[in-house]
Amino acid sequence: MTGLEKKLLTWLDQGLINQEQLTAIGQYERRTGKSNSSHWWLYSLLILGSSIISLGIISLIAANWANIPDLVKLGTAFGLLSLLAATTLWQAETDSDYLYDALLTAFIILCLAVIGLIAQVFHLNGHWYNALLLWSAITLPVVLFAHQLFAYFLWSTLFIHAATWGAIALSSGSFSGNNAAQLPALFLLAPLLAAGGYVLTRLSQHLKLFRSSFFFWFQISGLVSLIFIDIIRSGGEMRSFELDWYIPAYIVAAILMTMIASNPAYRPLNKGLLISIILLLLLYFHPFILFDGETRYSFNALQAPGETVNFWTADDIRAPFLTILILFLYATHAGNIGHHRTFNAMTFLIGLRFVILYFQAMGGLAATGVGLILSGLMIIGIAWFWHKSRKRLQHWSEGLHE
Amino acid sequence: MNRQFGLALALLLPIVILAGNAWLHYQQRIAGESITFPIEGFDPRDLLSGHYLIYRIDYGINDNGNCPTSDIAASLCLKPERRIYPADELPQSCTQFIRGNCDSSARFISGLERFYVPQQYADILDEKVRNKQGKLVIAVDQSGNAGVVDLLINDRPWKEIVTEE
Repeated sequence: MTGLEKKLLTWLDQGLINQEQLTAIGQYERRTGKSNSSHWWLYSLLILGSSIISLGIISLIAANWANIPDLVKLGTAFGLLSLLAATTLWQAETDSDYLYDALLTAFIILCLAVIGLIAQVFHLNGHWYNALLLWSAITLPVVLFAHQLFAYFLWSTLFIHAATWGAIALSSGSFSGNNAAQLPALFLLAPLLAAGGYVLTRLSQHLKLFRSSFFFWFQISGLVSLIFIDIIRSGGEMRSFELDWYIPAYIVAAILMTMIASNPAYRPLNKGLLISIILLLLLYFHPFILFDGETRYSFNALQAPGETVNFWTADDIRAPFLTILILFLYATHAGNIGHHRTFNAMTFLIGLRFVILYFQAMGGLAATGVGLILSGLMIIGIAWFWHKSRKRLQHWSEGLHE
Repeated sequence: MNRQFGLALALLLPIVILAGNAWLHYQQRIAGESITFPIEGFDPRDLLSGHYLIYRIDYGINDNGNCPTSDIAASLCLKPERRIYPADELPQSCTQFIRGNCDSSARFISGLERFYVPQQYADILDEKVRNKQGKLVIAVDQSGNAGVVDLLINDRPWKEIVTEE
């Protein structure tokens, strides 16, 4: 028995619905639910099948490529690409959205494989993000004809990764994936780029199917970036930044803020909140305005005699304060526009950061029995506060208007 | 615009661009003048990277003709004198050249420093290039664009060598 059936029976017992309604709801759910589920599976299998066939052909070529003349290899690849394009075009006239999308997805995957094949045949020297950027540019018009979200998600995922790494490589000259020094610039740019893509999709109806993909990557990369910079700043690392590496992020941030400020869909409050978040994030990642990489409150006892660290100037105090402030502003924005799940997640993260801050500041206490009791009480206290205040904060944020 | 026609154009675009790209590289390979340079591995850890060999090309430039500075666009003049110039200072008298750049170590990089090989032959070729038995055949066109044509081991195409072994 499914969860819904159990609920329906409970509602029937409670007199909330009658037998007729229960039957009607059950029939409706079975009809639509089963249909969606089977389509979902069908679509996944079709995508998987098409991708495996494409990869199989590529593997066959790759395994024997030294013995196959270059023109034969390229001819086969382009023949396959043309065949797939013709089949996709033919399938577009039929009613089967899923098969059409599977073919279209296989086509764009094969385009990427052909880029790789050309590089291999002509021994071209280049970075993976250059190949992906070329792929993104030439397949964008194709993706715009897709009906299902998968092709949009695939395209935006690869595009965001390629654009982020490509931009950092351009600004830093000789970028290497192994160079950890450039990671902060990468982590700052990724959420800004994804957010920029999201705002752009809100401006154009033609791009609306990209919206959820960019939003997904904005939230994931934003969270990862915040965790990354918090750990790094709290740990007092990153004293040597190159400001040049941040130029792409600053350009994207300026464009993003302009798009937010000029977007009529946002109320002034939301514009203010979002722009504040961007500015705080830039400040968080900035090489030297707020953080010097040397002042840590937790290591106060290790300072030279007579030298004291001001609580508010310490890196490991400013970092969590900024994290919590950014999360709070985003929670307020999410609550205000009715994104309840995001609001709950943000407020939970604020509570979690408070707990971590407590252990950062009072870490020594955790080694004692009394300390552990106090820590447990602190966690329960925060959970209780979160539970009690969440609804109030949500109502407050929803009530915020011009 | 008719949706079907738009889709046809969208599907045609990547095919045309990729085919054009492959055609340009092919033309450059067959129309360019062939030149052979010795190659050598420069870092044992990096020489073999997956399915391709990376190496340093010995352009036969003396110390005076090397990169004037690092991180600039540059051109390697091959005729009449082998010398590297900043890209915008290439003399008119230079009749054959390769476009590239000087990297952060003031080393000329032409983009030809990679040769794809099948994995089963990678170790054999890696060893031979390490032993300075390798040479690279490139094709250079009038505009300074260069493309890799073949890898020679002891002055013979690499395919002949691996077939024998």
